[in-house]
Amino acid sequence: MSEIINHAFLFDATRCIDCRACMVACSVENNIPMNKTRIWVAGIGIKGEFPKLESASMVYHCMHCAEPDCLSACPVGAYTKRSDGPVLYDPDKCIGCRYCMNACPFGVPHFDYDKGLIEGAFIDKCTMCPQRIDVGLAPACVATCPTDALEFGERADLIAKAHARIQAHPERYIDHVYGEIENGGTSYLILSHVPFTELGLPEIGSIPVKEVSETVMGYTIPFALGWSAVLSAVAAGVHLYNQKNEKRSSAEEKLEDSK
Amino acid sequence: MKMSLTIQPRFRLPLIVWILLGLMGIALVVALVRYAVGIGPISDLSNSYPWGFWISLDLFTGVAIGSGAFVIASIVYIFELKEFQPLTKPAVLTGFIGYIMVVISLLVDLGHPERIYYMLIHTNHTSVLLEIGICVMSYLTVLAIEFSPVVFEGIKKDKWAHFIHKFIIPFIIIGVVLSTLHQSSLGSLLLIQPTKLHPLWWTPILPVQFFISALAIGLGMVILESTLSSRYFKRGLESHLLEKLGKAIPVILVIYLISKFGELLWAGDLHFLFSSGWMGILFWAEILIGSVIPMIWFSIRRLRQNPNALLTGAIILLFGMILNRFNVSWFAIQHPDPITYIPTFMSNVKYIPTLPEMAVSIGIFSAGILAFGLAAKYLPVFDNEPEKTQY
Repeated sequence: MSEIINHAFLFDATRCIDCRACMVACSVENNIPMNKTRIWVAGIGIKGEFPKLESASMVYHCMHCAEPDCLSACPVGAYTKRSDGPVLYDPDKCIGCRYCMNACPFGVPHFDYDKGLIEGAFIDKCTMCPQRIDVGLAPACVATCPTDALEFGERADLIAKAHARIQAHPERYIDHVYGEIENGGTSYLILSHVPFTELGLPEIGSIPVKEVSETVMGYTIPFALGWSAVLSAVAAGVHLYNQKNEKRSSAEEKLEDSK
Repeated sequence: MKMSLTIQPRFRLPLIVWILLGLMGIALVVALVRYAVGIGPISDLSNSYPWGFWISLDLFTGVAIGSGAFVIASIVYIFELKEFQPLTKPAVLTGFIGYIMVVISLLVDLGHPERIYYMLIHTNHTSVLLEIGICVMSYLTVLAIEFSPVVFEGIKKDKWAHFIHKFIIPFIIIGVVLSTLHQSSLGSLLLIQPTKLHPLWWTPILPVQFFISALAIGLGMVILESTLSSRYFKRGLESHLLEKLGKAIPVILVIYLISKFGELLWAGDLHFLFSSGWMGILFWAEILIGSVIPMIWFSIRRLRQNPNALLTGAIILLFGMILNRFNVSWFAIQHPDPITYIPTFMSNVKYIPTLPEMAVSIGIFSAGILAFGLAAKYLPVFDNEPEKTQY
């Protein structure tokens, strides 16, 4: 196995049979409690009339964005983006503000609402199983998938593979690989036979949602300095003007008195 | 201060104080339960609604209504309109107490309140929340310094009060800069949600709109808080000063309305005004109550000169502006459903704040009112007070 520079998943919705083995595998691998999960398999139900039925399901976990919005939003820097793909979360830094949950356009990070101060309430999300990929294994969800709906590998290779699959079966797929450009590119690529919005994926352009927020934040320090200068100048100006006026009026008073 | 020689048979607290203490007690119990078992059992917050009532009321509204302090401070100290001096101390006190309330409520809302100081040691410079956190902490310090002369006067350390007063201008300027930053940054907090916040509200100039509306809210709060405290503490009302403040409100609101509708026009979002169902109604309600009606109201001299009408106008203005804060931080944000994962506007994921959740906010608010009352009673907050009234 050659060295992978940028890990990614490829999910093919036409292959997913909604068996949810990935959810189980993930929970076992990462020791997730029974009432929690890092993966959702979201079914959109069965459509059509018997015998012509159609269904779709979507395996949902962290998209591992190239430019993560959670990372941008976190006030204490609890998120990191590894150069080879995974977006990781450090519970030792987290203050539990839940701003990352607001920032993530995919609604991925989730919070321990059932934990008090002593147990400690943290954010949890998919980690791309670094303990496995570091030794050359695929993440648990991918390794367990019985239909190869989930695949894992080098991002560029998977994109090429996805496009090749669309070209081989143009009647089967929507001609788009979700995640190739969405939100600045994600490490979770999706092929589908139904519109992506029906799978519950948001419509996002190629610009990460954090863009405007980060641009505005960039102006903070220059603005603070400039505004301080302006206010000081105004305060000094007004003060001098008032002093001058006072002097003049007192001088005029004296003048009038001497008359 | 002369001792009151009225014979009191036993120590009695007014009924209102008992009620406030009771509400505080309930909030304390709820907070303890929350610390023991987590946020989930006492609130309706969920992975779809990570922020709810506490953030909208305590953070967004709390900070907004604390803006009176910096508005009055800049009028009096930067523009040297000394006639407004009598309004300064109560406004700074309101701001100081208000910001303490914000911090206390955040300590309930945060998952790890004991780590709040991490904001100072692990800093992520792209985070708007970090800026707000640091600004609020610093501004709280500045407000404490601005208010300290009153405390020193109260404990008869006039020299210390005089000393602080000598160096007050730099602190006022720092305070105004910090206020500008975090009042506008509350708007920036939502910039990261362009796909979640309804396009009637999401705009890159949200921070500018937040700052302009904070100015109007500040003036409204000064009118409200001066009028109410003059009634409760039975002291003279500076109605001529409040009338002048009222005059400035329409000017600010016109600029605000231009920023609101100008942006919608610029972004080509005008069609959302009449095609967004509930969202459109909320938007129009906020614009009418918070901007249009107060703009007309405060333009009418006869209404400005009547203390009752002035108070009513301020309440209408504040109500509409608070609706705006609730809209941007709660009502107009779409939340993905974690089960079906179909993003929708407030439809399939429900969030209804629970009673304990509201009890926390109400308790903290009661503590604020009580603190204001105590400070007003025992510290020289109001200048040249008429004779103290006994209750």
